[in-house]
Amino acid sequence: MKVTIEHLTKRFADNTAVRDFNAVIESGELVALLGPSGCGKSTMLNMISGILDVTEGKIYFDDDDVTDVVPEKRGVGLVFQNYALYPHMTVLENICFPLEIKKVPKSERVQKAMEMAKLVHVDNMLDRKPSQMSGGQQQRVAIARALVKKPRILLLDEPLSNLDARLRIEMREEIRRIQKETKVTTVFVTHDQEEAMSISDHIILMKDGELQQIAKPQELYDNPANCFVADFLGNPPINKTYGVIKGGKIILDGECSIEDERFKNLEDRDDIILSLRAEAIEVCEDDGYNCGVIDEVYVMGKEVLAYITLGNNKVRAYIDSDESFKVGEKVSLKLKKRGFFVFDKMSGERIL
Amino acid sequence: MFKKISLNKILIYFFLVAGAIIMVFPFYWMITGAFKTGEEIIAFPPLWLPSHFSLDNFIEAFNKAPFLRYFMNSVIAMVGSVSICTVTTILGAFAFSKLKIPFKNVLLGFLLGLMMVPFEMIVITNFRTIVDLGIYNTILALIIPFTSSIFYMYILKGFFDTIPDSLYQAARVDGCSNWKYLWRVMVPIGKPSLVTIILLNAIASWNSFLWPSLAIIDKNLKTLPFGLYSFVSEGGAKTELMMAAATIVVLPMIILFIFARKHIVNGVARGGLKG
Amino acid sequence: MSLKSKEKKFSLTKLKNKSEWLIYLLPFLIGIIIFTLYPIVNVFLISFKENFNYITKTFSGWGIANYQYIFNDPYFIQALKNTLSYVFVVIPVSTCLAILIATLLNQKIKFAGLFQTAYFVPMVTSTIAIGFAWRFMFSHKYGVINYLLSFLNIAPINWLQDPTYNFYALCIYGIWAILPFSIILLLSGLQNIDPMYYTAAKVDGAKPLKIFFRVTLPLLAPTIFMVIMVNTISCFKVFNELFPLFGGGANVPAGVANNLFTVVLYIYYQFRVRVPSRYGYASAAAVILFLIIFVATMLQRYIEKKIKS
Repeated sequence: MKVTIEHLTKRFADNTAVRDFNAVIESGELVALLGPSGCGKSTMLNMISGILDVTEGKIYFDDDDVTDVVPEKRGVGLVFQNYALYPHMTVLENICFPLEIKKVPKSERVQKAMEMAKLVHVDNMLDRKPSQMSGGQQQRVAIARALVKKPRILLLDEPLSNLDARLRIEMREEIRRIQKETKVTTVFVTHDQEEAMSISDHIILMKDGELQQIAKPQELYDNPANCFVADFLGNPPINKTYGVIKGGKIILDGECSIEDERFKNLEDRDDIILSLRAEAIEVCEDDGYNCGVIDEVYVMGKEVLAYITLGNNKVRAYIDSDESFKVGEKVSLKLKKRGFFVFDKMSGERIL
Repeated sequence: MFKKISLNKILIYFFLVAGAIIMVFPFYWMITGAFKTGEEIIAFPPLWLPSHFSLDNFIEAFNKAPFLRYFMNSVIAMVGSVSICTVTTILGAFAFSKLKIPFKNVLLGFLLGLMMVPFEMIVITNFRTIVDLGIYNTILALIIPFTSSIFYMYILKGFFDTIPDSLYQAARVDGCSNWKYLWRVMVPIGKPSLVTIILLNAIASWNSFLWPSLAIIDKNLKTLPFGLYSFVSEGGAKTELMMAAATIVVLPMIILFIFARKHIVNGVARGGLKG
Repeated sequence: MSLKSKEKKFSLTKLKNKSEWLIYLLPFLIGIIIFTLYPIVNVFLISFKENFNYITKTFSGWGIANYQYIFNDPYFIQALKNTLSYVFVVIPVSTCLAILIATLLNQKIKFAGLFQTAYFVPMVTSTIAIGFAWRFMFSHKYGVINYLLSFLNIAPINWLQDPTYNFYALCIYGIWAILPFSIILLLSGLQNIDPMYYTAAKVDGAKPLKIFFRVTLPLLAPTIFMVIMVNTISCFKVFNELFPLFGGGANVPAGVANNLFTVVLYIYYQFRVRVPSRYGYASAAAVILFLIIFVATMLQRYIEKKIKS
């Protein structure tokens, strides 16, 4: 099922959580709602589920306007950060509960619940209570409970943040697998960019209640719409250097000039940000261009990370482990094909 | 070092045992008194044990006043008021905990303020109210005024508040009505708290004296504590019969306490007693 | 289905959800309004109605005559004095005893359940019934208390019939009856103290008594304070205890010389014992009781806030 969000706004008494939001979630996709905490992504999710009223705007499920439809009539399955399993019910009873409410006959109920339990691999612990299970297992039950009534859309609110690091990787792949098997349109909220990048078909990136960009994960990484998107994605975080464009060159603060073919056609302007991904910088021996000084070198297994001073700015770059640059050595930087962007400092808009 | 510790322990046990004897002594004296004969009870120095354990005093007490009747009245009043009160408490606590209520905090604060008002102050009017309602001197007079309690509602609301909202939202999204959510999810989860509330309420109802003594005049409608008091004060009953009758009143609660001590103690520790 | 009817249906569901709270709250509120809120308002009103007759609901006018009457009534003045004295005797004694017993119960002891049952059981028993046991124990001629005192060469005391002693009999029974509640609260307060404080003090070499006074008591202070306030309020309402000890016949259970009036007993006397009932005086006395408790509660909240900040 396709979800269309038009001019969606949510105002609370003292703040606006979501502002004039437009997005389309394609049928059968796994979409991440990504953003820093407090950006309104959970509010968005709750409006899609119907738990929260909408202040302005419309939400469509396929062609149905569901803006004013109560949650239970929308056909959404919801999974919570803390799982929200009923502590006094067994796994089977938990999964059956949504069907019980729909007054599905008991035998059919149990049969469907068993199917779901099998899908999420908890069919060997149907008689356990939630308190007797690990976080990952509880999460599986929560997903089964959300899916058992065959929702039109599955919504997951920070589904992995209560799990420890190893379980998190396992569970996110499980979510991916379950989503692919059931083909249900799925939206999950996360503040973890790696999580979003690794499993989603599309990412909706939000900040301060506003849409920043919707794109495929790689597209988002390679082609950020603005400075915030570039900053938010990537590990190590993208290098931000400040300066001006002058005569087809970028002059970084501290009188450090950076030249590249692709800067030549840029018009002169003040206050720009040159953002560089660590892997976009090639460090070479000093040849008189784009000069910097190596500040610190960290060897981290197969990679060597160097901190390089460019005028008043400092950037991280990977260097070849074969090369042996020393601290204090002067080097030249070359920009690779992808992974550097120029933004306006005030608006954050992309210039290049 | 080892000796010193054990000396401390001996002192602790000595004081604990001495204190426990003082606390329990009135019960011991009451129960043994209930078995003593008329001569034994006025013996001086007092007898620590009755010469033999016969039920004569109990039988005589039952013959002189309808204690079985009182017992039944107490049970009816207790079951009636506690069961209705539990239902209104559950509904009210749920509304205050999970539903959107206009001016909720103002209303709650106001109710908390009301809780401060001593029961002794409102009996004056309530006495007239039950007369006006035409239930004066009926068992209903012991039930109707106690069908809701701010105190128990507040304790239960406190517990309901600890149940995460996500449970509620999960159920709502599944199409679960408030009603069904309350009875299928909240109440089963809140069982320990409910048991505590019911126990505290039952004890308070069983032991209440002031209200029954105002609302009831008919001999056959009295509850146990009131019946006991009339038995002693009107009849000028003999001490041994007084002890036998008092034992009848106290015994059910002692038994209840022995079986449900943890629930009662936890409840008192958490919410305090109803003023 | 046309769009319009669809919308209407949905808005109906919403409307139902929005007023649903009333259905849940109504049974609760009805009871509270009839049997708590209305009586309070009514008592305030009656206390200012002069020569009020409840049956005809007539009164001669508004005024403070009821208050003037009770403050000129020696019984009421006596009731205030007795109630205050009762509070000043019972609260300090019971609180100190309760702290001691709770501390002992909090040690690692065997038979903890048995001890708890022994110390707590008075809490669930009828004040009237067990009061009769005390009446028997207080007996002048064959009472076990006088018998035990004789070992200390104390001549038999007429606990219940002598106006100089009957107040103490009331206090002793009151302390015994209030102890379990105090012990439970203090014990749970003690159990909530993080053991690391004791470990820290022990590592510093503090002796047990020092630990008790410098660590335990200060950490327990908020609980002690709460116990004192709750008990003070309940002691201001002392009433039931009087019946088994001093009751008999149709008299007011205020001791032989009617020297043991308390505020609640005075209210009871005005509207229940006197014929016809003096609702005005009873209400005025009830308002005074309410004011005392109100001030005590406000004081409690104020000091509580001070302690917290």
